[in-house]
Amino acid sequence: MEHVWDFQTVFASWSLLSQGLFNTLKLGLLTLITGLFFGFFVGLGRYSRSSWVNFPAGVFVEVFRNTPALVQIMWFYFAFPIISPFDIDTFAAAALGLGLNTTAFCAEIFRGGIQSIHRGQWEAGKALGMTYREQVLRIILPQAVVRMIPAFMNRVVELMKMTSLASVIAFGELMHQAKTISTYHFNPIESYTVAALLFFLVISPFAFLVYHLENRFRK
Amino acid sequence: MSLEILSCRNLKKQFVENQVLRGIDLQINKGESLAIIGASGSGKSTLLRCLNFLEIPSSGEVSLRGELIGSRQNGQVLYQERDLIPIRAKIGMVFQHFNLFPHMTVLQNVMEGPRTVLKLPKSEYESRAISYLEKVGIPEKRNAYPSELSGGQQQRVAIARALAMEPEIMLFDEATSALDPELVGEVLDVILKLMQEGLTCVLVTHELGFAYSAAQRVLFMHNGVVLEEGSAYDVLVEPQQPRTIEFLRGHSRFQLPSPKNSQ
Ligand SMILES: Nc1ncnc2c1ncn2[C@@H]1O[C@H](COP(=O)(O)OP(=O)(O)OP(=O)(O)O)[C@@H](O)[C@H]1O
Ligand SMILES: [Mg+2]
Repeated sequence: MEHVWDFQTVFASWSLLSQGLFNTLKLGLLTLITGLFFGFFVGLGRYSRSSWVNFPAGVFVEVFRNTPALVQIMWFYFAFPIISPFDIDTFAAAALGLGLNTTAFCAEIFRGGIQSIHRGQWEAGKALGMTYREQVLRIILPQAVVRMIPAFMNRVVELMKMTSLASVIAFGELMHQAKTISTYHFNPIESYTVAALLFFLVISPFAFLVYHLENRFRK
Repeated sequence: MSLEILSCRNLKKQFVENQVLRGIDLQINKGESLAIIGASGSGKSTLLRCLNFLEIPSSGEVSLRGELIGSRQNGQVLYQERDLIPIRAKIGMVFQHFNLFPHMTVLQNVMEGPRTVLKLPKSEYESRAISYLEKVGIPEKRNAYPSELSGGQQQRVAIARALAMEPEIMLFDEATSALDPELVGEVLDVILKLMQEGLTCVLVTHELGFAYSAAQRVLFMHNGVVLEEGSAYDVLVEPQQPRTIEFLRGHSRFQLPSPKNSQ
């Protein structure tokens, strides 16, 4: 059977697609920012000498790193409302699942980056009379962050792809919108092709940045 | 009359079941220069690191200007990080591997303590940093990064960084052993100058010739205890303990004068 290409119907639904694009970016950026923020503290927490801090931080990271993001999203949408007094909408469930997942991965990036800084750097700061906070902010982080950038960029790429998982709970991100258009117009090839293209446009700059940075750091 | 700067009593340090310091008594007076020698693994670095609390002693007492550091509780001394921070600021430390901050220029390295810890105004920490860079003889390198300097220059910057805190006492942990032989001299010259100016210095060193000519007092450590202690001449030239004699024989490539009474 010869396929008759019909991109017309896809572009006619542009408002659906652009809304999907917006929701994808919203979900991706929000979870990225919260993941970076909380990941920093969880990552540091794994260094804590107190096992009241490092043990829960370790459990948190391992749980969210070693379970599929899809399961996490489904769990927050379907299971969480049953065992908690809160109602939860599709965006909140997706953001929670992806946010915690990203927090766990960012915590590992922070931990690895900080670990890569020689112990003598901490000691030099300490010997000057710096507080722990000053050692972290003035000495360790400025050196570690540079080394962490490629890993963070990789995380952005992974995260932006994972946002499409939110379509399973019908959150109106790009993937879900493409599905809607395809069932309405019976044009899955065109809808998903355009969706893939849009994902590519959003994500590929980060991927190219990763190559670029990795090449630079190798020197 | 001599003023006590730093002292410790019955200082012990244990790593898991490895007893590294087995009861050290030591008093360092103002203006004094003390060299600590001893075989590898005898606990010299650990002693220095306990004196500025990079390591927390397992037991015993450390005092700065006669004041006990930490708080005594049922015969034990407890240390809280917030009490130790101002103590470390008063004790300068120079490391074997310099540990300069690679993301900062030379000047920024030296300014860092006065700026972040002492919280001096910019005009003061900057001029202070420059004056200490002049003291160690490399003011012209102020805008270079540590990686652009030779080992000897890096160690001199590290000394300036510690001096810029205007500490009560300076601790040097094998400040020259990571250096190429031809760079050792420039660093020892700086240390010697500081000693002659009356700065209180403790140096762990394998440079016995330098210890002999620069240190007023020498302390020989073995297996976590001070085996022998006295003037540079007494310990290095006329040692009494068989262990000290054996150790010094192993360092015979350092030319020391023969004893006065041996002719
Ligand atoms: N953080 C640590 N954890 C466990 N053991 C340690 C630690 N630091 C030092 N030690 C042990 O303590 C002993 C004494 O070490 P220290 O570094 O004080 O010796 P040193 O006299 O400075 O030797 P060197 O001349 O080689 O520098 C060694 O056996 C070492 O393995
Ligand atoms: Mg040592």
